[in-house]
Amino acid sequence: MIKNVLLVDDDQEMLMALKEGFTKYRDSFTVQLASDGLKAVKRLKKSVVSLVVTDLKMPGMDGFELLAHIMEHYPDIPVIIITGYSTPEMEHLAREGGAVGYIAKPFLIENLARQIMTTLRKESEGGTLHNVSSGIFLQLVEMEQKTCTIRLEDKFTGKKGILFFNEGELLDARVNDLQGEDAAYEVFSWDQVNLSIQNGCALKNKRIHSEMHYLILEAARRKDEDVSDPAPPSVLEEVEPYELDPATIIKNIKDKIEQAVGPACGLEDIYQDDSWDSLVFQLSRTGEYLNIGKLVLGYIDKGESNDYIILPGEKTTVISVNPKCPRDKLLQILSD
Amino acid sequence: MRELFSDILSIEGVKGLILFSLAGDIIFKQLNHTVLEVLENRDWRLFIESLSGMRETDLIFEKGRLYIRRTDIGYLVVLIGSFVPIAMMRLQCDILLPALKPAKAKKGIRKFFKK
Repeated sequence: MIKNVLLVDDDQEMLMALKEGFTKYRDSFTVQLASDGLKAVKRLKKSVVSLVVTDLKMPGMDGFELLAHIMEHYPDIPVIIITGYSTPEMEHLAREGGAVGYIAKPFLIENLARQIMTTLRKESEGGTLHNVSSGIFLQLVEMEQKTCTIRLEDKFTGKKGILFFNEGELLDARVNDLQGEDAAYEVFSWDQVNLSIQNGCALKNKRIHSEMHYLILEAARRKDEDVSDPAPPSVLEEVEPYELDPATIIKNIKDKIEQAVGPACGLEDIYQDDSWDSLVFQLSRTGEYLNIGKLVLGYIDKGESNDYIILPGEKTTVISVNPKCPRDKLLQILSD
Repeated sequence: MRELFSDILSIEGVKGLILFSLAGDIIFKQLNHTVLEVLENRDWRLFIESLSGMRETDLIFEKGRLYIRRTDIGYLVVLIGSFVPIAMMRLQCDILLPALKPAKAKKGIRKFFKK
């Protein structure tokens, strides 16, 4: 199961740089962005997040307030703090507040990615299962009196949910902004799921008071009668307005090139063009076959008046350059 | 053919190369063994088709780099490390390209005589 990591920072350039830097880890996790604590809280309500990386100094709700909110409402979600104003006292406060990691800016993206992956690995330390019937498996958890946190993904809708067990007793459930029994009904209505098991349960409060077999039967009844509330939108359909804003991506690239190379950079145009997507896909596949990983970027000379630099992404970004541009330097800047 | 590519293969950081025909068949290859088997099993037609219209391509991957050059008979794909001097690679390919042309049928009586 690919995990969602929520990045929270009011520095938009920082967010975009992290998002870009993390594209190479997209087999392990995807990122969602929020520009302050309040937007992060909204995001937490709408989707199942596995980990939060947050800055401390932000307008509105700052990182400490966000950390406290997460510890109160989502104690299962680990938080990593990144800050440009690091002091030993701040680190002490953050760790005391429940943060699992603390990184002072500036830092290497790889270091943060490593910490994210290490933390996320704990989510599935108890194992993962694919294509199982949620009802049967969860009754086994009850019988075995396990204490664990189970994250599930409905095979058909891609919707994600989480269940908290203490000694086989179902304490709580969460699916997007649903909690408690309503969330449990939703999860138990999923026929085939992929799931990962984390040993232990960070939640202490019991929100669900019905027996599991009752919840399973009621979920089936509701599904048959279709009396449940309309499903919240899929995580896949949600996007922060600026997350996919091509203008911002283009501006960031332009600034990066012009700052590093100056006016003689040979830049002609930058745009997003999905007609390059199939080429990018083929090239990426080739990299995987040859065991050299995913495509980061490419320089293409078609013998036309301009050459092209392509950057894979949700849409391929194309940089049109003069063939006499400082090619190696541009590639180095863009691949950093 | 190995001799033909020896200058490229001797550049520090070059890990191997493959020469594909325009139809996607492997004409020549020299790569490490772990990758060889995978190479044989893949249908490369789509990959070669996707390169259509490209003269020269320099691709940077997470753990390596591919330098691709179109020739008269197909595409030369060189697998290189991240820090290989691309200028030297280009130069060696420029030198090599004239040798990679389709063989012409010799006409008349000359075809019976070796040079």
